[in-house]
Amino acid sequence: MSSSAKQAPAKVVDFEEVIDVIAKAVCEGDIVNFRLLFSPFSPARESSTESFDMPKYAYLLPDEEMMGGPRFAASRALVKRPETVSALRRELEANRPPQLPWELVLELADNAVREEKYSSAAQAYELLRVRARIQREFFVQADAALDAGNVPTAVRGYIIATSLAYDYAAFPEPLPITLDFQTRAFVLHSEYPARPEDCIGLREPKELLQTALAYLLLDAEAAVRLDSRSEEVRLAFLKELALQRDSACETFVARLREACVAADELLKRLQELQSTPALPGEVDAHMDLSKEEDDPRRIPAALLGYFIEEGEWWQYLKELVYKHPAAALLVARQSVGDLEIIVPRYAPDSPVVRALGV
Amino acid sequence: MPPMPDDKGYINYFALLGLDETAKPGEVRKSYRQRMKDLVMEIAHVEITEDRRSHYMLEVATLNAAFYLLRDSATRDAYWALRNEVIALEQQWREAVDSSSGDVDTARRTYDSKLRLFLSRYGEEAMLEAGRDKECVEASKWDAAHERHASRILRHYRQSLYQQILERLPYYEVTTPRIDWEERKKVAASILAGKDR
Repeated sequence: MSSSAKQAPAKVVDFEEVIDVIAKAVCEGDIVNFRLLFSPFSPARESSTESFDMPKYAYLLPDEEMMGGPRFAASRALVKRPETVSALRRELEANRPPQLPWELVLELADNAVREEKYSSAAQAYELLRVRARIQREFFVQADAALDAGNVPTAVRGYIIATSLAYDYAAFPEPLPITLDFQTRAFVLHSEYPARPEDCIGLREPKELLQTALAYLLLDAEAAVRLDSRSEEVRLAFLKELALQRDSACETFVARLREACVAADELLKRLQELQSTPALPGEVDAHMDLSKEEDDPRRIPAALLGYFIEEGEWWQYLKELVYKHPAAALLVARQSVGDLEIIVPRYAPDSPVVRALGV
Repeated sequence: MPPMPDDKGYINYFALLGLDETAKPGEVRKSYRQRMKDLVMEIAHVEITEDRRSHYMLEVATLNAAFYLLRDSATRDAYWALRNEVIALEQQWREAVDSSSGDVDTARRTYDSKLRLFLSRYGEEAMLEAGRDKECVEASKWDAAHERHASRILRHYRQSLYQQILERLPYYEVTTPRIDWEERKKVAASILAGKDR
């Protein structure tokens, strides 16, 4: 390039705007956006060709509603402190990996917990190397709440503490634990129940309670912490836990009843066919899947609220528990002819089943 | 910054066999066989739960690795040399941080890559290799099924060791926090109570 070629004017970054976007990330508890702002291509850097004026970065800017809120004001005040501003300027000017101000990371982590963005909170606490201790603190306070008979607070404490866990065996790097009821439900139902007592919902109350707590807490060790509590307390805990995990559990209970009706109708139909002596071979070979009353797939569809085209039992299960995690404890796999479906299966008089809202 | 502890947090296979670095191959073999025999006996007499399975699998794998690495002078020297190198690099990084010299980041990166290499080689790969060694297989009854189950356990072990070492090292991704734990308790209580600013 010739020396006479015009050079682009030096980029000017409005630092008040930088303060606003950092405050927004802190206020929202968003560790991804926060770290992005310190990356080499960050629009907050003068050395970068990226700019906050670009439409693709509009999501980083706070809107008026947020700016009027008290949490944003508190985050902005923290970012605006003179020592923080000078640290931010230094890090955004330096040509090396950034060292993030710890006060902002801690505030971000706390806000992430408030917003129930637990993966983000776990990553931020992990950066500060305090994640395990914070986790313990939530367990301690949750246990104290349970001692005081405050079950909703205790459940919230347990949910926060277990959600801040880290999976050090994740590949290739450790990752925060995520809500993966789809995978855990699949593991619960990995073996076809050969006997009625193999069905989760038909297990002895003590065993079912332990399974339900470990599954809904996503952590067997956390469930063991409750072992010393009376059955009454553990059942109250489970009831609240099921509610906090699924605010729409009443919808599921209504669908479960519909599915039970459909299952009863199918059973009657099978008994009807069985009592017809003229039919050769297997009874289910004489069912006509094109007729609604003969189609067993209407049972999982009733549970889920819709049909899945050529849906396998595990597809229904995964979609069901994504919406209603506790559903995995109340259904079982069932073969009907060549088909395998999920059907409601539980002991209605079990105190654990009643605690799950049924 | 917390000082380096005496055991430094790095895997010491000599200590695992109750030996020091001057131990002869015969002593390594004798100690390994005795410890493996005791361990196999212990496993045979306890009820194996999921947690215990992971615990014992790791114990068998580390004992196997200790024997596999230390019975041969070439592998033993390579292991000990890398371990000493990582320890020296940690010291260099700490000194660079204390003196605030300009090459802190280079020192950290060099140390971090060597530490990861050490943990990967001797906290995971050596255990899997040892599980395929004829003598180890004979003493520990380790088989392909164990190897399949062990991969997640060993990855967890390696990462936990890394975290354990990281806990006492200088902060580099964030400035050194000064956490007020009394204030933290209040924050946790306010979050649980649903109080918001």
